[in-house]
Amino acid sequence: MIRLHNVSKTYFKSPVKAVDDLSLEVKPGEIFGFLGPNGAGKSTTIKIITGILTPDSGTVEINGVNLADDPIAAKSLVGYVPDNHEMYDALKGIEYLQFVGTMYGVRAADLKRKIDEYAALFELTDAIPDMIGSYSHGMKQKLSVIAALVHDPKVWILDEPLTGLDPQSAYQLKTLMRKQAEAGNTVFFSSHVIDVVEKVCDRIGIINHGKLVAVDTLDNIRADGKVSLESLFLTITSKNERQDAPDDASDDGEGK
Amino acid sequence: MKYLALVKLLFVQQYKVRSAVATRSGKKRLGSAALYLVLGVCFVPLFVAVAVAMYYMGKVSDGNVYVATFLTLICQSLVLMFGVHAVISNVFVVRDADRLLYLPIRSHVIFLAKLTVAYLNEVITTAVTAIVVLLPFGIGAGAGVAYYLMLLAALVLLPMLPMLAGTFVAMPISALVTLFGKNSAVKTILRIVLYVAIMALYMYAMYSFGFLTGSSGGNNFLDDPEKYIADTIGDFALNLQNVMPYFHSDYMLMQSMLATNFAQWAAGFACALAENAALLGLVFAVSLPFYRKMLASSVEGSGARGKNKNGGYVVKQRGTVREFMLTDLKRTVRDAQIGFQSFAGIIMTPVIVVILYFLMGTADSGETSFLELMQISPLYQMIAPLIILVYMTFLGCSTNVLGLYPISRENKSAFILKSLPVPFSKILLSKVLLATAVMVLSDFVTCILIVALFGVKWYIGIVMLAVMILVGFGAMCLTTLLDLKNPRFGWDNFNQGLKNAKNSWIAMLIALLAGVALTVCSVPFVVVFAILDSVYLTIAMWAVDLGVSAAFAAVSYKIMTGKAAKYFERIEV
Repeated sequence: MIRLHNVSKTYFKSPVKAVDDLSLEVKPGEIFGFLGPNGAGKSTTIKIITGILTPDSGTVEINGVNLADDPIAAKSLVGYVPDNHEMYDALKGIEYLQFVGTMYGVRAADLKRKIDEYAALFELTDAIPDMIGSYSHGMKQKLSVIAALVHDPKVWILDEPLTGLDPQSAYQLKTLMRKQAEAGNTVFFSSHVIDVVEKVCDRIGIINHGKLVAVDTLDNIRADGKVSLESLFLTITSKNERQDAPDDASDDGEGK
Repeated sequence: MKYLALVKLLFVQQYKVRSAVATRSGKKRLGSAALYLVLGVCFVPLFVAVAVAMYYMGKVSDGNVYVATFLTLICQSLVLMFGVHAVISNVFVVRDADRLLYLPIRSHVIFLAKLTVAYLNEVITTAVTAIVVLLPFGIGAGAGVAYYLMLLAALVLLPMLPMLAGTFVAMPISALVTLFGKNSAVKTILRIVLYVAIMALYMYAMYSFGFLTGSSGGNNFLDDPEKYIADTIGDFALNLQNVMPYFHSDYMLMQSMLATNFAQWAAGFACALAENAALLGLVFAVSLPFYRKMLASSVEGSGARGKNKNGGYVVKQRGTVREFMLTDLKRTVRDAQIGFQSFAGIIMTPVIVVILYFLMGTADSGETSFLELMQISPLYQMIAPLIILVYMTFLGCSTNVLGLYPISRENKSAFILKSLPVPFSKILLSKVLLATAVMVLSDFVTCILIVALFGVKWYIGIVMLAVMILVGFGAMCLTTLLDLKNPRFGWDNFNQGLKNAKNSWIAMLIALLAGVALTVCSVPFVVVFAILDSVYLTIAMWAVDLGVSAAFAAVSYKIMTGKAAKYFERIEV
């Protein structure tokens, strides 16, 4: 379970809030889709949940563990697939997995079994003894996914995970996400690919300008049951833009 | 236009390193100003000393053109030492191929732009060396206005020869390391070995000019220092007559700078211009095909992986700190730029000990070396180890890149550290232990060389080692903290990217202050020793120095551990 309560974050170089008073709860056994335009605050929210960024205010709980009070215990519960591919290029794939496994306290035998299982699933077995620097974008993504799963996380957080994956691997990933949810784990999934979100997620949240503008099951968001998620997303985010417009205009005016 | 745009982009980009924490700009500016002020106070005396020596050389040699040419070679050698690595990392280590190759720019324009950026960096180094070396030499020689005007031309022309030499050195190094295919660790070791070999070759060349042997026509320094120096420079100028004309472009430039009439100036300058233009053409013609080859291999090599059998890997059970250290070590050794920077430091201080020995410890047959003369004094065992210790600590602290930039070298993957369920104290411990291990290795070799070459008693050598390690550790704790306070991320070129980070300067400053503290503590013992000549005073002095350095290490470690976690928390990645 993930619980965010009144979380806000402003980067030190920015005058605007990247995340603005965001409250959200994602339940166990649920796949939660997190949508939003570029720069809406998706990755910032995910970085706050994973403990990479510290919020200016508000609290984050992972399966009831307060991230600020016990960050090590909270982080141990999380598996994180980042949106960038800045990995340790000077390491071999297996060395990276060994490193991550050790950091999460996974026993060597279990780690080997997990690596074998997931590497075979994502057809990465042959490449694992090679340098990460020699990997393609998609291979790095697969390695990230494996690294996020070797410790059997209770909460799985994926930031744009389908980028660069081939159709087979994308299918395997979606299947894995469903399996995780069925096992009672929480899956938090951010994406721009609305079709995938529509097919995979149980519930979605839409963030714009750092604020959570909609959160519900797909059926409830589509009030009449006929509107596509894509048009709904565009309506909600553009409505939000229009609401923001007078402020923006006055800001510009003051600037002049 | 494309060329100029690319030069501007590449030049500016090397200083565009992202700060990852909030710092109030006013406070930051004040801190920087204070740092530069203190650094200035510390280093200006050193520069002044060199400048005075150059002034004296100009005066004694009466503006001898061969001596002036030799001094330009010294400047160029310094430019070369820094320049070789800059050429390798800026030009031949191709990391931006995927960002440049799709642009509608010809590869020779890209190469020329990269070479220009390397050249501009060398002009900056040349300017510093010229101000300290050539300017006071001219004043000492009583040179006319033309000499000072020609200094501007010299700034443009002098980097050409180091560029050529740097390119010629960089090409075989890059080619050799490429031969070793996937083994990045071997590549790094090879780079360091070749770099040391080049430095040794340089020292041999200097030695062969007769400058370092202290030839002085049989005079003794202690009898008449002024005559000794004058005779040495006289002999030296004679030796140079046969060698310097081979460095023809420099020789002609100096002839024009020290010319006494227009014809001599015009002939020398025209010749220097033409020869440097030829050098530039040669650099371009020889290295362009090589650059194209490296560019192609960087793109083609990105997908090259070996065939591995199913399950051909081993997973081991390790502790967190050990795993962290091993991972960090592998990443450092295998990274072309960070590996070279980190491990070249290990051999830098021992190499300088050897150089110092050649400077002070050798003499022509039948003559007594400066070192032997000093060793006769009863105060030698008291003072010499202390001076060497302060100097070596100063060098060692500033070259330990592992301890200077422990967080900045994580670069864009720093988020991984922040996402791991590991207390930061363990991450910090592993980083400090790794940097300490490298430093201890360097200090150990340095102390063995000091005992072997400088005749320092072995037991003093052991205490020196302990003091060096403690001071180095203390300085490293503080620089680690500084890096945590303001890490630099987003760089593409470690060497250039951290140019605007001040950690190595600060490390020098810390080591310098620690050296001053050690000296201040030792002086009373030296003074009393000069009167009483008791071995107990030597023991007492080193015991106090050991205590002071241990206290410094302990306090620094406490400061670091007290603040590190808070600084780490603030980092925004």
